[in-house]
Amino acid sequence: MIKLAHNELIVFLLSISAMLIISRIFAELGKKLKLPVVMGELIVGIILGPTILGMLYPDIFNYLFPRTGNIPIALDGIFSLSVIMLLFVAGMEVQLSLVLKQGKVAVYTSLFSMVIPFFTGFAVAWFFPEIFSISNEHGPKLLFALFFGTALSISALPVIARILMDMNLFKTNIGMVIIASAMFNDLLGWLIFSFVLSLTHTNDGEHLSLWYTIIYIIGFGLFMLTIGKKIIDKTLPWMQTKLSWPGGVLSISLGICLLSAAFTEAINIHAILGAFIAGIAFGDSVHLREQAREIIHQFVTNFFAPLFFVSIGLKINFIENFDPVIVSIVLVLAFVGKVLGATIGARLGGMSKNHSLAVGFGMNARGAMEIILGTLALNAGLISKPIFVALVIMALVTSLTSGPLMKKFID
Amino acid sequence: MDLSKLKKRPSYPFETIAVAISFSPSCQSLLAEAKRLSDVLGASLLLLHIGDQTPEKEQKLDSIMDTVGVDPKRSRVIWMEGDPVDTILKLCKLNIVDLLVLGALEKENILKFYLGSIARNISRKAKCSVLLLTNPSDEPMKLKKIVVNGVENPKTIHTINTSLYLAKHLKVKDLTIVKEVDISGIAMAIADNTTAPQTKEIKKNITDESEETLQMIIDKCDIGEINVTDKIIKGKPGYAISKFAKDKRADLLVINSPDTHLNVFDRIFTHDIEYILADLPCNVLIIHSRV
Repeated sequence: MIKLAHNELIVFLLSISAMLIISRIFAELGKKLKLPVVMGELIVGIILGPTILGMLYPDIFNYLFPRTGNIPIALDGIFSLSVIMLLFVAGMEVQLSLVLKQGKVAVYTSLFSMVIPFFTGFAVAWFFPEIFSISNEHGPKLLFALFFGTALSISALPVIARILMDMNLFKTNIGMVIIASAMFNDLLGWLIFSFVLSLTHTNDGEHLSLWYTIIYIIGFGLFMLTIGKKIIDKTLPWMQTKLSWPGGVLSISLGICLLSAAFTEAINIHAILGAFIAGIAFGDSVHLREQAREIIHQFVTNFFAPLFFVSIGLKINFIENFDPVIVSIVLVLAFVGKVLGATIGARLGGMSKNHSLAVGFGMNARGAMEIILGTLALNAGLISKPIFVALVIMALVTSLTSGPLMKKFID
Repeated sequence: MDLSKLKKRPSYPFETIAVAISFSPSCQSLLAEAKRLSDVLGASLLLLHIGDQTPEKEQKLDSIMDTVGVDPKRSRVIWMEGDPVDTILKLCKLNIVDLLVLGALEKENILKFYLGSIARNISRKAKCSVLLLTNPSDEPMKLKKIVVNGVENPKTIHTINTSLYLAKHLKVKDLTIVKEVDISGIAMAIADNTTAPQTKEIKKNITDESEETLQMIIDKCDIGEINVTDKIIKGKPGYAISKFAKDKRADLLVINSPDTHLNVFDRIFTHDIEYILADLPCNVLIIHSRV
């Protein structure tokens, strides 16, 4: 078994501690300016990465984050684990019953806020691939168009929840419509994205046929959301009373998340889908105690999330890969598609004009979810670095503007 | 079918009470409970049997009615063949039934739950109030504790007033109005950047707001002499109140009728009311307020 050498272990621990401590400092500073935590974490990545530290002090950068040897492998393992955990907690907050309970307005809002941005993104990528420097061959163009449509249609539930809570709208009718629609968006978005990612395996000899992929994804989702959910629901009270508290439920829940992620990865659907669906099955249980839910959230959001978001800045030079044309196009498409789609959906669902617009801008926040999606697409070779940078900027701009724009249409 | 008489009909008083007769072992007890309710509330009693009308069945029903003491002048028996759920629902509409009394098992096996039993399917679709009795008895039902759902919904005020009307007639002393607060989404919103005092304050504000809302609903109700207490409980709506009613050993749980037509998806992605129907914590009264 390959082990980290004494010096490598020291560097590995130093790099992780630097990422955690500096990102916490930036998160606290950002809090004073009412900026999202993820923004602070990305900035830390940019500072510690090739964009600033690598340019000003290349020796320190190469010492802390070497590109060869065992350290990058160890870090990559942690980053992979981080994204799986992030998807698990994202899934924990998806309550499909809420979508059904909110009825027509939530169904229309979520469908229109998916369909319109998806087709807007798909059409632009399909008909104008040269803008994004994508090859005009059918295969890569289709994959990119599918990804780009999905990237524009996804929402960021945690960011939206935070914005609604800050605006005291979390438990209101309008807040519930936004939350329920965002939940449905997330579910559909991650299902589609897993499908797109599984298609990228085409060249590695592990290719599944299109129909098998669809059957596997739907089959796995249905199994976990019915039988899997029932099993978790039946065993949770036992876990929470007979095993150590809260250690028992924490290790079992995270274990089930990894098991489910391993299963989906093994059947050539990405591990994130397994984690996300396991999160839904777990989070939907009436027996999951609030304290356990909070501990899982705190652990993932404050340990894995900073490492993941800081790592983005470590891998990419944001200045070199900043393309103002791509950024502008992505921003315009993201705003137009999402705001228009969600507004039309809410209006058709029976909401007033102003409240529909508020729902439109509320749903527009993409936040961390968009960045995770972009990172996975970049790692899979679906998109180039300039497109990724544009997606990150879009995620931040939509998250920052969502609250103030919503305010304009509420009372 | 002329449904104009049903529209905007108030949820109480109960002028016509119907009971579904199936000739099961608990049939006599169920009729006894329905008869007592109709006597106390001054309502006429309607006995519904869905199935063929044979001399043996007629004789058996006459004998049960006689034992229970049902007054033929204040009651009617309707025999009709057809699908039990649809036929009962149709008869209730045609006869302007205000309350339908049904016997129900506390819990059903998983397959039956997803497919839907007769009593539960009627509860999901009925256009009148439905009383599900888990353990009907020949002896008068002892109603001491009533738990009422105080969810924020236009129907709730009618549900509370109907509960108060019942409580007055049945001389119930303990009536608790409960509002459930689902704080599951809060964990996600506060995870990354909230201090411990801020978290505490956020949770306290949510509870305070819920208390205020519940108090506003209660203030609009005609409480009269009844001792009403209010309670905020945290948890998943439907499940939390069901657990509360069970823990409190309530005799009756009163809830609003569902806002939409429930189907099998509402059992898979569990709707609030389905948590209650899946495992009845006690007798359950579903108020259809027709608003």
